[in-house]
Amino acid sequence: MTVQPAGGGAAERRTGSGLADVIDSILDKGLVIDAYVGISLVGIELLSIDARITVASVDTYLRFAEAVNRLDLTDKSKPGLPELVQSVKGGDQAPPEPPEPQKLQKPKTVIQGSLESAGERLGDLTDERDDGRRKKLRRTERPEEG
Amino acid sequence: MVRSTETSATSESVPEEQTTGCYVYGVVPAEIEVDAEARGVGDPPTPVRSLQHGRIAALVSDVSLDRPLGTPHDLLAHEELLDAAAAEVPVLPLRFGAVITDDEAVVEEFLRPNHDEFVAALEELEGRAQYVVKGRYVEDAVFTEILEENPEAARLRDEIRDLPEDATRNERIQLGEMIHEAIAAKREADTAELIEQVDELSVLSVVRQPSHEQDAVHVALLIETSRQAELEQVMEELGRRWADRITLRLLGPLAAYDFVMTRQGDEGWD
Repeated sequence: MTVQPAGGGAAERRTGSGLADVIDSILDKGLVIDAYVGISLVGIELLSIDARITVASVDTYLRFAEAVNRLDLTDKSKPGLPELVQSVKGGDQAPPEPPEPQKLQKPKTVIQGSLESAGERLGDLTDERDDGRRKKLRRTERPEEG
Repeated sequence: MVRSTETSATSESVPEEQTTGCYVYGVVPAEIEVDAEARGVGDPPTPVRSLQHGRIAALVSDVSLDRPLGTPHDLLAHEELLDAAAAEVPVLPLRFGAVITDDEAVVEEFLRPNHDEFVAALEELEGRAQYVVKGRYVEDAVFTEILEENPEAARLRDEIRDLPEDATRNERIQLGEMIHEAIAAKREADTAELIEQVDELSVLSVVRQPSHEQDAVHVALLIETSRQAELEQVMEELGRRWADRITLRLLGPLAAYDFVMTRQGDEGWD
């Protein structure tokens, strides 16, 4: 056995986020016991888990088409050129506050909203790990070290 | 396509009357101590123990053989234990569902014959853990982006948008296929950018198969745990830059599921 990149998992499935993440990792990755143990291996029944390979299907295509048809492209949040020019003019008269965000006021709000939530998500995940999981095991002192 | 994880093998040596087995999670260095509260797979879950041999130990728990394994609880218990271990020590994760007859067989048949191989692999993983980056395209943002970049798709959309679905099925499929291909191209580009951003940080990386049709990135990284803060910073920055188009998640530290390879030239026992 060597430590090296294994082939990407082919079979996957969508469920609740936590479980989906687990399924991505433990069903088709990791060491295979059969390669190491012979006679004492116990064959236990495993609940069959429908794992889907993400392949393009007509259903997918129709769903995509429906999604783009629903888009209302006239309601763009990005500012057009006139808006931008106007904001720049306004910026000239205003005191020298941070000029960049001022120019793009509408999108700024939108982007910041998503940005904060992305940051929170990352934070949440790392916090979660720190809180509970690490307590299950700890390393004891190795007498031979030191 | 459906893949079922059926029974892997049945051994003749298991007595008919045997009702419990020894579930094996993974291999860790011998000098670890398992929390007395840690519970494993099965219903009811039983305490997790470590069976030592030489410089290594197997994390195990008793499991009843009269009930199939694979409930959400079982799957989560398996990964949570290994990930908790990976946060502290190097760990060789086993694929879900490994059961051996009893404690003695775990030591004599699993740990003893493979001791040196496992020690070497654990040494390679010392101070390292796996992290997984998952990103999902923000639906409206990515579709808008695609229509802006593909005049042909935009034209087709405008053409069929107000027509009845039944009359335009073929055109809709054609449009959907264009979107699908555009997403695949974006996924490739965004994944390449992610890999480039973490290249200096990661020991190894694996691009995983997308697990959803709107997956933007799905990558497993092997990283020195001492550099986790750097990884988080890179991901924060990328997440900020991508905020309006990709929802990014960072998972880890995890056991190195994507980086342990079952020994080569051995397809298992017949």
